[in-house]
Amino acid sequence: MLEACVFATILCGFFGSILKKNLVMKIISMDVMSTGVIAYYVLIASRRGLFTPILADVQKGNYADPVPQAVILTAIVIGFSIQALMLVGVMKLARDNPTLETHEIERNNAP
Amino acid sequence: MNILTIVWIALPFFVGFVGYLLPKLARYLSLGAAIASLGYALLLFTQPPLSLQLLDSFGVTLLVDQLSGFFILTNALVTAAVILYCWHSGKTAFFYMQAIILHGSVNAAFACTDFISLYVALEVISIAAFLLIAYPRTDRSIWVGLRYLFTSNVAMLFYLVGAVLVYQASHSFAFTGLSAAPPEALALIFLGLLVKSGIFVSGLWLPLTHSESETPVSALLSGVVVKAGVLPLVRCALLVEEVDPPIRIFGVGTALLGVGYAVFEKDTKRMLAFHTISQLSFILAAPVVGGFYALTHGLVKAAIFLITGVLPSRNFKELQQKPIPIAIWIALVMASFSISGFPLLSGFGAKVLTTKNLLPWQVIGMNVAALGTAISFAKFIFLPYEKDKSAEVNPGFWAAIALLIGGLFLANVVYYEAYTIANIVKPLATIALGWLAYLLVFRRTTFKLPRLLEQFDHLVGMMSLMLVLLFWMVMA
Repeated sequence: MLEACVFATILCGFFGSILKKNLVMKIISMDVMSTGVIAYYVLIASRRGLFTPILADVQKGNYADPVPQAVILTAIVIGFSIQALMLVGVMKLARDNPTLETHEIERNNAP
Repeated sequence: MNILTIVWIALPFFVGFVGYLLPKLARYLSLGAAIASLGYALLLFTQPPLSLQLLDSFGVTLLVDQLSGFFILTNALVTAAVILYCWHSGKTAFFYMQAIILHGSVNAAFACTDFISLYVALEVISIAAFLLIAYPRTDRSIWVGLRYLFTSNVAMLFYLVGAVLVYQASHSFAFTGLSAAPPEALALIFLGLLVKSGIFVSGLWLPLTHSESETPVSALLSGVVVKAGVLPLVRCALLVEEVDPPIRIFGVGTALLGVGYAVFEKDTKRMLAFHTISQLSFILAAPVVGGFYALTHGLVKAAIFLITGVLPSRNFKELQQKPIPIAIWIALVMASFSISGFPLLSGFGAKVLTTKNLLPWQVIGMNVAALGTAISFAKFIFLPYEKDKSAEVNPGFWAAIALLIGGLFLANVVYYEAYTIANIVKPLATIALGWLAYLLVFRRTTFKLPRLLEQFDHLVGMMSLMLVLLFWMVMA
C-alpha cells in the first residue's frame, strides 16, 4: 500500500514535469518526483525494522537498515543543489521571458 | 599504486578549489592536473588491474584497468587540449576551475564500480557541465544548460530507484549485484545511463546541447563527458552476461539513427553532435574493445570541434563558397580521415578491432553506419582551400590540435596487427563508396529532417517511451 503511494508520487512528479507548461512548475514537479524517490529509499530501509540503529544496552526491536538512508542523504543534498542552480538559471531567464513558458523560451532561443 | 590512485582521483578537485583561491595560477594548475592524469593513464597500461575498497564494506569501490586506462587517457588528452586552446582567450579562473572539476568527476565515473559513487560522479558532471555551458551568461546558453540539467536529473531519479532495487536484492550497490537484481532494476538503471550518455532516441538532447555550447565546451562534452555514461554500460555488459544482448542492440540502433541524421545535416556543429551519437554506439556494439574506440573518437571529435570554432561559418553551403587556409584544411582532413577509418591513423585500427568483435547479425548495420560516417565527413574533406592564405588563430589552437592529432598517430601502436591487405582494402572501399555517394547525391540534397523530437517536452516524454521499451526488452 505504502509502496503504491510512493510510486504514485514518483509518477505524479514525472507527468507533472511533462504536462506543466511553466518552467518553475516543471522544476517543482521534479522536486515532487525526487521526494517520491527519497520516500522509496526510506521505505526500503524500514523493511526489516523501524528503530534507529544506535548501539545501546537495551534491545528495543529490529533496526532499520542504515545504508539506504545514508545513501539517500547524499542524493538529497545533490538534488537540492541542482534545484538551487536551476532556479538561479530561471531567475536570469525570467528577465527576458516573464511568463516563463517553456514553449516561448524555446522559440526565442532555438537556432 | 593504491595511494597514487587516491591522489589521482582527488587531485583535480583539490586543484579546482585551489585554483579559485589563486586565480592567476588557475590555468597552469589545471593543465598540470590534466598532465598528471595523462601520466597516470599511461602508467595503468603497465600495471595489472587494481581494485580498491575505501571506507569498509559499504564504501566506495574503484576499479582501474586497461579498459578504463583508455577512457582516462582520452579524458586527460582532451582536457589538456581544451585548456591549451583557451590559453590566450581571456577566460576567467572560473572556467578553468569548472573544466578541471569536470575532468575529475569524469575520471571518478570511469573508475568507480558501484552505483552510488557513479550517481554522485554523474551528478557532479551535470553541475560542472551546466556551469560550463552557461559560462557566456546569455539567455540561450542558460536555456541550453537548463534543458540539459533538467533532462539528466530526471533520468538520474529513475536511476536511483533502480539502484535501490539492486540493493534490496543483493545488499550491495556494486555493479555485480545487477545479475541478482529484478529486471525492472535493470530497466531503470539503464534508462538513466542511456539518457546520460546520449544513446538512441533518449539521446536527442545531445545535438542542441553540443552544438550551441562554446567551441571548447563542445569539445569537452562530445569528447569525454558523454563517455562517462558509456563506460558503466560497457562494464555492466562485461560483468553480467544477460545485459550484453540489449546493449549490442542499442549499439546498432543508435549507430544508424545518429548517422541517419548526420548525413542530412547542413550545420557543421550539429553534424558533429549527431555523429557523436552514432560513434558512441560503436563503443557499445563491441564492449570488449570499446576502450580503444573511445580513445580515437574522443581525440578526433575534440580536434574537429576545435577546428570548426575557427572556420568562417557554421553552414556547409556557405563554407563551400569561402576557401579556408590550407593549414587548417590539412588538420581538418587528417581528423576526418581518421574517423572514416583511413590507414595510418588510429581510427583505422579501432574500426578494424571493433569489426572483428561484432556478432554476425550486427555486421550489416555497423557497415552501413561506417559508410554514413564516410559520407558525413566527405562534407569536410571536399571543402575548398586556399594555398597563400595564412591562418589567423591564436598559438594555443595549434598546440591543442598538435596534441590531439599527434595522439591519433601514436595510438596506432595499440593495434598494429591491423595492417594486413584485407583489412586495408575494406575501409578504403567504404571511404570511396562514401565519397561517391556524397558527390553524386548528398551534396545536392536540400532535404531537412524535422527537429520536432528535440523539443524540451518531447525529450522528457521520450524517456517514458524508452522506459517502456527497456521493460519490454528485459522482461522478454
